[in-house]
Amino acid sequence: MENKKEFVEIIKDNQALIYKVVKVYTDGKAEEQDLYQEIIYQLWKSFASFRNESKLTTWMYRIALNTAIVHLKKEQRKGSQVSIDEQVLNQPDTSDTLKEEQFALLYAQIRKLNSIDKAIVLLYLEGKTHQEISAITGFSTTNVATRLSRIKQKIIAQIK
Amino acid sequence: MELEEMKSLWEEMSSKIEKQSKITDSLILKMTNQNYRRKVNKLMVYEVIGALVCLLGLLFMAVNFYKLDTWYLQVCGLVSALILILLPVFSIKALCRMSRINISENNYQQTLKAYSKGKVQFLMVQKASFYAGAILLVSLLPVMGKLIAGHDFFKVSNIWLVYAISFPFFYYYAVWVSNNYTKSVLEAENMLKELAEVA
Repeated sequence: MENKKEFVEIIKDNQALIYKVVKVYTDGKAEEQDLYQEIIYQLWKSFASFRNESKLTTWMYRIALNTAIVHLKKEQRKGSQVSIDEQVLNQPDTSDTLKEEQFALLYAQIRKLNSIDKAIVLLYLEGKTHQEISAITGFSTTNVATRLSRIKQKIIAQIK
Repeated sequence: MELEEMKSLWEEMSSKIEKQSKITDSLILKMTNQNYRRKVNKLMVYEVIGALVCLLGLLFMAVNFYKLDTWYLQVCGLVSALILILLPVFSIKALCRMSRINISENNYQQTLKAYSKGKVQFLMVQKASFYAGAILLVSLLPVMGKLIAGHDFFKVSNIWLVYAISFPFFYYYAVWVSNNYTKSVLEAENMLKELAEVA
């Protein structure tokens, strides 16, 4: 039970992390809910084996990103099992419509990238260093740097 | 929007998200208690049901094989039996490979590689299954005609005409299926190539 309490606190403290991964890897409410649940389920499943050898967020990003790849396209999902309050997956509260559009555009632009670039750019935007990105993704720091400069070009090309 | 602009917008959005603490303890607990694998394995359930149907068909043919009294019905029976054995075996094998990916131990690169490889294999099996299924339809029809109705369809019906009429439809459907699978396989293969470049 102590374990569960600790886990719940970790999820609550880091729900923004899960939220952002879900938003980047899905496009649609049903998919979002499904992936959100699956990430929490997978985190719980591997929580016991988390040995504090890596940073908590490194572990969380790793599980969340892995889950996003494996479970999203495994089958056509038909709604989620746990009904999630719409608010949990809504865009951040803002009365500024222009900002909301910009946030939506931001996600849309990242979603256009392939799976490798998507993860790298997400972690870069989250303020992770090249070393941290490398630890989460398994790509070398040199590769991360090279990919990031290519992503910059891709994004510019997307706009044109 | 350039990457630097994206970053500042992302930070702004992140700080707004941080302020929205909406998930509840009970919701998190529900998600951990959910018997989620049942849903994830839905595809596997379909495959197992399919395998059981194939097995039943196979048993039925094996028990009644002696009733297939001409060489061409026996050939049809053997071809059908072979497909009924191979189809579910390959399909379940490909699905097992996909579900064996270790989410908690792998890093992103390893997961992506394993997933893309599994996807290529699964798509190839699905494509092959489609063609094998079509052959099965052709070979099983006269066999079942003989075993259930006791008629040799090659002698008493216009089975060749049925085959000839349905062939063009099947051909165009097959081309469409092939194009669809080829596109998906290519995407997965490109991902593997790209992963090999960054490795």
